[in-house]
Amino acid sequence: MAAFLQQHYNNLYIALLAEDRWKQYVEGLGRTLLIAACATLIGILIGMIIAVVKVSAAGNRKLRFLEILCDLYLTVIRGTPVVVQLLILYTAVFTSMTNGTPVAIIGFGLNSGAYVAEIFRSGIMSIPHGQTEAGRSLGLTSWMTMRLIVLPQAVKNILPALFNEFITLLKETSVAGMIAVRDLTKVADGIKGRAFISEPLFVAALIYLVLVIAMTQVQKRLERRLGKGDRR
Amino acid sequence: MIDVKNLQKSFHGNLVLKGITETIEKGEKVVVIGPSGSGKSTFLRCLNLLEVPTGGEIWFEGVNITDKKCNINQLRQKMGMVFQSFNLFGHLSVQENITLAPVRLRLMTQEQADAKAKQLLERIGLVDKASSYPSQLSGGQQQRIAIVRALAMNPDVMLFDEPTSALDPEMVGEVLELMKQLAAEGMTMVVVTHEMGFAREVATRVLFMDGGQILEQNTPKEFFSSPKNPRLQDFLSKVL
Repeated sequence: MAAFLQQHYNNLYIALLAEDRWKQYVEGLGRTLLIAACATLIGILIGMIIAVVKVSAAGNRKLRFLEILCDLYLTVIRGTPVVVQLLILYTAVFTSMTNGTPVAIIGFGLNSGAYVAEIFRSGIMSIPHGQTEAGRSLGLTSWMTMRLIVLPQAVKNILPALFNEFITLLKETSVAGMIAVRDLTKVADGIKGRAFISEPLFVAALIYLVLVIAMTQVQKRLERRLGKGDRR
Repeated sequence: MIDVKNLQKSFHGNLVLKGITETIEKGEKVVVIGPSGSGKSTFLRCLNLLEVPTGGEIWFEGVNITDKKCNINQLRQKMGMVFQSFNLFGHLSVQENITLAPVRLRLMTQEQADAKAKQLLERIGLVDKASSYPSQLSGGQQQRIAIVRALAMNPDVMLFDEPTSALDPEMVGEVLELMKQLAAEGMTMVVVTHEMGFAREVATRVLFMDGGQILEQNTPKEFFSSPKNPRLQDFLSKVL
């Protein structure tokens, strides 16, 4: 038993402290967070625009062309694996870019946008049409009504689904290594290969776990704050 | 004030309003009654273009609002509307519900709007609910707040779409009472309702609609005591 613990202790030392390896994890973690955060923002932006376009297009023939464009985007993005999308972006689209990080940000952002769009659309459709009518009857424009009345209530309804997507996205960035990004997973895998021990992978897993738990706490707080108009 | 000329509305080829021509003068309280599906709500909702007419014209304060170039958002500021299902904004407090539109449309500063909201809430005896949320209020309270939310815009006309139909019987009275006060103050009102007592007491004119047309109209006294149209006679015999 003592020998077993001693073995793991030694391995952890090799995985974390030897040759100042912890610095590599920090760097990798930074890159993972950067990619996840930027991609989330891009995803929210794209998702919200597409959802609003799709909902507006339902009652306005002039937006038909935009709607077809959005549907095409949704079909392609949701119909192909994110790894393949990343590889295509890296090798065929941004050919002059040697740094994979911006490519990963764009790739994950575009990918997440498609899922966020459908989440937002479900949220907007969950708000009774009477809310829109009440806003318009007071003289608010359709965009003001969307921004001030429909979207805030929609966001409250979709918060759990939205955080599901953000959490998935954070963990999905672990495939960024496929396009030569030294993110947290890639770093851990590299140390594993050099030191012939599996502990780095557990270190990475633990870091992801802590991040996701933190995000869950943020979600709970937001739900409490936005839920003040609820009867529950 | 409102001139309706040969107003038509069809939904997917189904003609719901079959050419309505009607004039509503300033200060009038027009009550529209009729069986369900008669087009009375559609008629009311056409007046502020919540339903876009498929034919005819509507003139409001000298402006053709059915003209494509007309800025309907500006005109709606002058036409308050009250809905059957209240439609208070669920994520906003009572105070915010009332002040949102006047402030966002830059008709008032936040301070002016807050003062106006306080004054309106005092009037309906709900000042203590200013920071409550709609879900914490009774139906009658919600509907009265919906009415003052519309009043906060200082409208020239108020449209009521079956304002008491979704209320418990004991809450109908408080909403009707507020509407009666408004009427007494000279507000121009168009009311779609099933409350015959309200029509009799408050209306200056009662319209009977069926099949997308106005079949008969009269002062409430004549309207209820000597209906001429057989369809109206039949309708009244069932509801009175």
